[in-house]
Amino acid sequence: MNLFQTIFTGSNQAVSAAEGLLKQAIEQKGRDHKVAFPDTAYALPVIYAATGIKITTLGELEGAIGIVKSLIVEELQLTQALNAGLATAVSAEIIEAIKYAMNETPYEAPCAGHISDPIIRSLGVPLVTGDIPGVAVVLGECPDSATAAKVIKDYQSKGLLTFLVGKVIDQAIEGNVKMGLELRVIPLGYDVTSVIHVVSVAIRASLIFGAVEPGKLDKHMEYTKNRVPAFVNAFGPLSELVVSAGAGAIALGFPVITDQVVPEVPTLLLTQKDYDKFVATSLEARGIKIKITELPIPVAFAAAFEGERIRKED
Amino acid sequence: MSDQFISIYQTSEEQLLEKAVQDGVETMWDRKAAMKAPCGFGEKGICCRICAMGPCRISPVAGKGAQRGICGATADVIVARNLARMVAAGTASHSDHARDIAHVMHMASRDGNFKIRDEKKLLDLASEWGVKTEDRDIYEVAHEVAEIALNEFGKPFGTLRFLERAPEKRKKVWDDLQIRPRAIDREIATILHSTHIGCTGDAESLLHMSMRTALADGWGGSMIGTVFSDILYGTPVPRETESNLGVLDEKQVNIILHGHEPSLSEMIVMASLDPEMQKLAKKVGAEGINLAGMCCTGNEVTMRHGVKIAGNFYQQEMAVLTGAVEAVIVDVQCIFPSLVPITECYHTKFITTSPKAKITGATHIEFHEDRALESAKAIVREAIENFKNRKKEKVFIPTEKSSGVVGYSVEAIIKQLDKVVNPHIDPMGTIKPLADVIKAGVLRGAVGIVGCNNPKSKHDYSHIEIMKKMIANDVIVVTTGCAAQAAVKAGLTNKDARKLAGQGLATVCELVDIPPVLHLGSCVDISRIMTIVGEVAKHMDLDNSDLPVAGIAPEWMSEKAVAIANYVVATGIDTFLGITPPVTGSEEVMDIMTNRVEAMTGAKFFIEEDPHVLADKVLSRIEEKRQKLGI
Repeated sequence: MNLFQTIFTGSNQAVSAAEGLLKQAIEQKGRDHKVAFPDTAYALPVIYAATGIKITTLGELEGAIGIVKSLIVEELQLTQALNAGLATAVSAEIIEAIKYAMNETPYEAPCAGHISDPIIRSLGVPLVTGDIPGVAVVLGECPDSATAAKVIKDYQSKGLLTFLVGKVIDQAIEGNVKMGLELRVIPLGYDVTSVIHVVSVAIRASLIFGAVEPGKLDKHMEYTKNRVPAFVNAFGPLSELVVSAGAGAIALGFPVITDQVVPEVPTLLLTQKDYDKFVATSLEARGIKIKITELPIPVAFAAAFEGERIRKED
Repeated sequence: MSDQFISIYQTSEEQLLEKAVQDGVETMWDRKAAMKAPCGFGEKGICCRICAMGPCRISPVAGKGAQRGICGATADVIVARNLARMVAAGTASHSDHARDIAHVMHMASRDGNFKIRDEKKLLDLASEWGVKTEDRDIYEVAHEVAEIALNEFGKPFGTLRFLERAPEKRKKVWDDLQIRPRAIDREIATILHSTHIGCTGDAESLLHMSMRTALADGWGGSMIGTVFSDILYGTPVPRETESNLGVLDEKQVNIILHGHEPSLSEMIVMASLDPEMQKLAKKVGAEGINLAGMCCTGNEVTMRHGVKIAGNFYQQEMAVLTGAVEAVIVDVQCIFPSLVPITECYHTKFITTSPKAKITGATHIEFHEDRALESAKAIVREAIENFKNRKKEKVFIPTEKSSGVVGYSVEAIIKQLDKVVNPHIDPMGTIKPLADVIKAGVLRGAVGIVGCNNPKSKHDYSHIEIMKKMIANDVIVVTTGCAAQAAVKAGLTNKDARKLAGQGLATVCELVDIPPVLHLGSCVDISRIMTIVGEVAKHMDLDNSDLPVAGIAPEWMSEKAVAIANYVVATGIDTFLGITPPVTGSEEVMDIMTNRVEAMTGAKFFIEEDPHVLADKVLSRIEEKRQKLGI
């Protein structure tokens, strides 16, 4: 299947999954049931940024499904492929919103799920000053936990903020990666759709720090492309859904680097099979330059370890 | 941008044509009108005059009137023969051009006017051709390489060396069809032989021969022309230029360089920069010398020196009509003999320089390659001294001009592509980024838009309309010749033109820092296009004919265009003609060209005079090829 068709397939899967879940949710809770993410002033941030509409009930989500469908136009051109990627992002947000609507605490440790506004605000300054030089979204499953830990620790030692999605979370734990906001490694969730919680961070950065008007999707995409130095590392076999989500990342200006064979797009969608070069490849692709003064000390040294707590048993 | 271009262009052209009426000057339009309706037999290619039993003509209606010539040749044979001779003439033109350049390289010397400027390219070619380079003087190497090239024209055995540059799968196609050209001149001679009365009487065989001869152009003459010009005059790199008649300057000595061979134009460029010439220009009251190119020689000097482009083929008379041109310096090919009567109405000197293209009534100052600079200075001096004869009251220079970037040789394109290579994954200096975006679908395909101007079509309109449609649909355009000059005039070779492109192409243009339409040079530089397509095919382990690419000649005119179209199809690239060739008188020839040839070369001809319909056909054919590849 050609790349764009793969994206469309994934987008259609995403929207029908969202539609199915929504139908179930409405049957169980009714159309007036409240929908919201905790601690945010931006309702469902991706939908809000894209359309200017604040969704508050399950019933209103039905309208959002219509928006998603209108974004999927199966013409084989980049514009349509990127729009389909955005459609997947919106579908993911709908699915995640339903999770929160149906369950008080859909996410439990170690997973963070939705990231609150205060946390984003706290990240704003170090992002602007370059103290956080980049945002890595690591998703899928590495060939082994040692590889996962190596890549994640490398980002950590370079001061990047790393979000984890999927089995790589378990691999990171197994690889003794220390996690937490202050350590700049945040596991989001095991479902692919939980990746939307990092998209939501980027989009809220545009709303909060960029003061971009809600509804001006183009301007938001311009902001994320130019100002949010994020990129995606997708490990392991890629489903159509993941490829389609990747198109959403590319639409926001975030390159995707994978260990799988895909039709490459220079600077945007790259295959790197050498795990030792994964970090360097990713930083180059996003144009992240890190000023490093490496100190010859036996432990990792970086701002990411500033908030670390040394427990008694350590 | 380009809509504006067409209408602005029309306005200034109308003004110049009005001026022509006032000044009592005849233009190509007057002569076109005087032709009245063209002869239907010639138009369909069913008129034959290759022997003295004729002229013969075949009835265009099957079963009615003369169905065979006196010798018995059918319409199929006559049409194929006429077409074959067009191919031979086109191939001869490009090849004689190339031969001269190879000769010049043979006389290049360290202290002479002609030097080796791209040593790397020469050394690469030397090793490709098995010429020893170690511990040898570069000029010794050059002379040996030049001699090998000169032998390509008439060697008694073997086939052309540059064919080896093609993808393996393409070489096999050529072998299977037995159309690998042998020596260049030999193929031209063979065509002339086989089209003699009483020789080949089979249309398909003639079309085979036409392809073989045409390949001797694209992968022989033209490729030698391009490679050797790069070695002698430098491989082009991106640079800014301006185009349209607005580049003429009222205050300077305006010299139009028109024709094809860069050996002359390079020397004229050098001569015009000479302090002695500059001083002379001041002395006659001009602010300086303003060189402006036209047609392919214009492309050569703009690619290498950024010399401004006055215009393309059909503007050659218009340039003189401005009354501001001191001299039109020409060498060979596509030069209107009407420049004699038209320059006589003004002070303009029409200077021919090549013994291969003398024109009655023109001032002939022969260009001698063995004393090139001196020779060029004599020509430039003649132009400068003519400044004082300019009649101010007759001067009208349209103000329109556009800027653009030119200079995209294959090497320059690969260098641009290096910008998007991630050094942790891929090596630099390859075509991979281009292959990748095509494979992924970000670019749907690539087309080469080439060719002439033709009064049968609203000039430049088809070029521009098709280019616009291609780029809007994420198809990158490479262009050469007069099509390229139309693109520069329309602003399409400007980096800003990416806003007219689809998101895929616009993204590529932004990342790679290129305009959506790339100017690759003159008509012989179509060999650069063959090279790029071949490199992409090799990278993807495919044949050229598998790729979503096409060649388009929207406003073609010359026999050279016919040769080009034939080698492009023989190279495996679909070719779209915006002007109907004189072949419609034979169903058989039409069937071979637009249908059966696909089974032979993997590509075929499309004939479509409506530029919008043509563009749609190109796009759907590109998608068809993608689908076959599963990309």
